[in-house]
Amino acid sequence: MKELKKKIEKYKTQFNREITLIQDKKGLQELRNLFLSRKKGYVSLLFEDFKTLKPEERPEAGKIINELKEYVQTKLQALQEEFSTAKKVEKTYDLTLPGKDIYLGSPHPIVHFQQEIEQIFLTMGFTIEEGPEIETDYYNFEALNFPQHHPARDDWDTLYIKDDLLLRTHTSPVQIRVMEKKKPPIRIIIPGKVFRKETPDPTHLPMFFQVEGLVIDVGITFAHLKGTLEYFLKALFNENIKIRFRPSFFPFTEPSAEVDIECTVCDGKNEDCRVCGGSGWIEILGAGMVDPQVLKNVNIDPERYSGFAFGMGIDRTAMFAFQISDMRNFYENDLRFIRQVLRK
Amino acid sequence: MKISLSWLKQYIDLDISAFELVDTLNNIGLMVDDWEEKENEVILDIETYANRPDTLGHLGVARELAVALGRPLKEQSWPLIELNEKTSDLINIKILDEDLCPRYCGIIVRGVQVGPSPDWLREKIKAIGLSPINNVVDVTNYVLFSTAQPIHAFDLDKLTGRKIIVRKAKKGESLISLEEDTLALSSDMLVIADEVKPVALAGVIGGQETSVSNETQDVFIESAYFDPVSIRKTSKKLGIKTEASYRFERGADESFPPQAALMAASILTQMGGKATKGILDIYSKPRKQKTIVLRNHRVAGLLGLEIQEEFIEETLSKLGFQIERTQKGVWQVKSPPFRVDVEREADLIEEIVRFYGYDKIPAKLPPFETLEPALSPKRKAFQKLRQILFHYGFDEVVNFSFVNQEKEAKLQSGRKPIEIRNPVSSKASILRTTLIGGLLENISWNLNRGAEGVHVFETGNVYFWQSDSCIEQCMLALATTGRVGTTHWQSRNEKTDFFRLKSACEAFMNYLRYDPYVFCEEDHTYFELGHSLSLHFKGEPVGFMGLVRRDILDSYSIEDEVWAAEFKLEMLLEKQAKKFQYRPVTRFPGISRDISFIASQEVTYQKIKAAVEKCSIPYLNQFYIYDRFSGPSIPKGKMSLSLRFVFCHPQRTLLAEEVDALQERIIKTLKAEFNFQLREGGKIDK
Ligand SMILES: [Zn+2]
Repeated sequence: MKELKKKIEKYKTQFNREITLIQDKKGLQELRNLFLSRKKGYVSLLFEDFKTLKPEERPEAGKIINELKEYVQTKLQALQEEFSTAKKVEKTYDLTLPGKDIYLGSPHPIVHFQQEIEQIFLTMGFTIEEGPEIETDYYNFEALNFPQHHPARDDWDTLYIKDDLLLRTHTSPVQIRVMEKKKPPIRIIIPGKVFRKETPDPTHLPMFFQVEGLVIDVGITFAHLKGTLEYFLKALFNENIKIRFRPSFFPFTEPSAEVDIECTVCDGKNEDCRVCGGSGWIEILGAGMVDPQVLKNVNIDPERYSGFAFGMGIDRTAMFAFQISDMRNFYENDLRFIRQVLRK
Repeated sequence: MKISLSWLKQYIDLDISAFELVDTLNNIGLMVDDWEEKENEVILDIETYANRPDTLGHLGVARELAVALGRPLKEQSWPLIELNEKTSDLINIKILDEDLCPRYCGIIVRGVQVGPSPDWLREKIKAIGLSPINNVVDVTNYVLFSTAQPIHAFDLDKLTGRKIIVRKAKKGESLISLEEDTLALSSDMLVIADEVKPVALAGVIGGQETSVSNETQDVFIESAYFDPVSIRKTSKKLGIKTEASYRFERGADESFPPQAALMAASILTQMGGKATKGILDIYSKPRKQKTIVLRNHRVAGLLGLEIQEEFIEETLSKLGFQIERTQKGVWQVKSPPFRVDVEREADLIEEIVRFYGYDKIPAKLPPFETLEPALSPKRKAFQKLRQILFHYGFDEVVNFSFVNQEKEAKLQSGRKPIEIRNPVSSKASILRTTLIGGLLENISWNLNRGAEGVHVFETGNVYFWQSDSCIEQCMLALATTGRVGTTHWQSRNEKTDFFRLKSACEAFMNYLRYDPYVFCEEDHTYFELGHSLSLHFKGEPVGFMGLVRRDILDSYSIEDEVWAAEFKLEMLLEKQAKKFQYRPVTRFPGISRDISFIASQEVTYQKIKAAVEKCSIPYLNQFYIYDRFSGPSIPKGKMSLSLRFVFCHPQRTLLAEEVDALQERIIKTLKAEFNFQLREGGKIDK
């Protein structure tokens, strides 16, 4: 009994010392375990000692052990509450300093814009097709109803590798390649690089990107062409943009159209507008119903099927959309320019 | 082409504003690119179309306007002051090649006083931006810009033998042109010759010798139709493009030569000349008019809109078509001779809708019925690849496909370049055989503009000859140099190195689930010897990465080191990615052991890895290197390596003694294989 009392005294002293050293909830839990753990806690161990005492000693022993237990519990409880109530953490840093910037790469504006265009057509059920950049005269011209020695070819200044081998001047040859191996219904867009013999200036380059579209099926009409392009242009620019279809002449479509959108820079009110030249309109797309001869060239019966095609310069449209005045910016690859796509 | 409003008014009454005029023309497909309003005059600049040669004169534009505005065309009359002599008495015309010249007309105006034109004519010529020359030349220009029919005036006295022979040039013949160039003629070129020699290049340019001068008394006027292809070939071959060749190669109106000759003669007689009697017209095989069947249901079928039959009939006949209804909703149509572009039903439908108005066509979405995947697996992988590279801090660039031949040669891509026959510039005369050159160009450009570092990638084709075919191969290239990002207040932005490049490459291989792949130490012409790796995917080589050769960097004026890589993207994207498959996650904690060795610096990590993998240690879940250094505390030529091995049993907790045995096996293997020495205290249990 005497030894028990001494032990209790020792534990109490130890407890009082250790509780002052506790910094956090983890320490608190450790101290609780040390004293109150059911198996190896000091209090449990005292009860082991208790079992060895004589019966008459037990009531008093029980009382003082319980007193220790309550003492420990009360103190730990108090400390627990102290930890739980919000305590002001000392501030050692300036919250207004900038955060750490993770350097992310930026998409190229043309590729980025091309993907926006692709997205719109994907939602309309179009699939994306690709084709070679080095083409034969047949696919680039002949099959598209540009006969040999026809002056229409002058509108497409061509870079040649050999007599019959050239850099495609438009992505239209892919239309032919797709129609040759696939029967209608066809609903595709063809984005890609095209090449022209042009001396670089702010609005002309020997290489640029184009996207073409082709829809062939039974019962496709000019009204569908209008509907598709109106949907596309509204999705690309805005819901309220004004769109104008006017007649034009292309060898591979009949009837042919050119599509203009209103100049949102001047709203058609500035005679000297550098974007639209004062006309109030910007030529944005060439389009039309696929010429019956083109369909015949790929063995699609023009009496049964009809379709429409359209083409748009991605660079030129991006210039208008982003208000970039010099097309050459796209290929200088100045990172200060490119990275504007990514972030402000 | 320049069109004058006052000139148009000779053919049609136009009391509308310039703005309305422009709008009307645009709505029927004659795009006015620009216009200028002057006192009592408007000059329009109208776009020209390869298949609308009929609109290359004022009459043609007036014809279109007349239909659009619902007004009549004014009748023209061309009275002549005639001599009693017949034209055929004074000149003999013979066509030797009727395929290339089916029709040739001529008339002579005698006693023409060559001199300045009257004011009305000078005004007209000036209005469209030309300079008046003399009355005869001005009249020929006036006829051309009025009717789109080119005509030519010869000095009759200079035509030897008073003969006109239309024939192909003979070998060795030449002609001094109006521009005083000596043209070497070839036997496929059509010429106008007199008895002895060519006097004009048919439909392209006249000859100096027989041209009209101040001494000219009698003028022979030629008005003919020439084969478009022949004219175009000749014009291209000689590099001569004239107002006449421009119209003939697009197709003139075969019915019109006599009228054009009459018009010219009439104006010249008004200036004092007298015309011979009768136009000489050699036209042995008049062209047959083709009949086109037009069906109303096709009009609706192509346009998605019903157009009234009355409108169709009225519009086409006003445009000069002969239209005859054969049954309800079906017509037989004959094109007017000036509309060489209209040959098929679709062409007629275009004519109808041009005047009906594109704005009246409704806008409808085509019915949906696609079952194809919206995005092909290849495109999906490509997009993911780009996202990973953005994440690793690489900016995307797009370079021209043309490159400088000399610079490209320095790179030694090993691919035979494709030359462009007619390049835009001698500095862009071949197609690129590698993407690396473009990236180095971008690095140089950006460093010169103050960039601290450049980390870029490009995807796109390279081009080369393989035996005699042109190959296009889609590649991915990356390059990195200098510092990454901007300095932060907590740390200076770090310099890039090889492992930044490698990590991006490993990342796309891993995240695209391209498996198995392996890097091998292998030299490549782009890189310093011993400083490059090749990448093999499913056993096939797909590309290289390394430290770009100093002499290459010098040619791009780049002082700093550049690490670059180039891969065959097409090959990567076409291969199957490893499918995702679930592996149970063990519930039992792993035991990890760290082992540090001293080893020769010659030993590569890849070899160590291979040796450990070869041992097939059971329960070895993963292992990796977590430290590598050399320095004063390590013997020369050696390095300290620290490897961590994690062991795990799927069904139970491993015992420490089991792991001890496995660890011993690893140590023994590495010691035997690489002569490793265990470092003091290098064994730490965790
Ligand atoms: Zn504007």
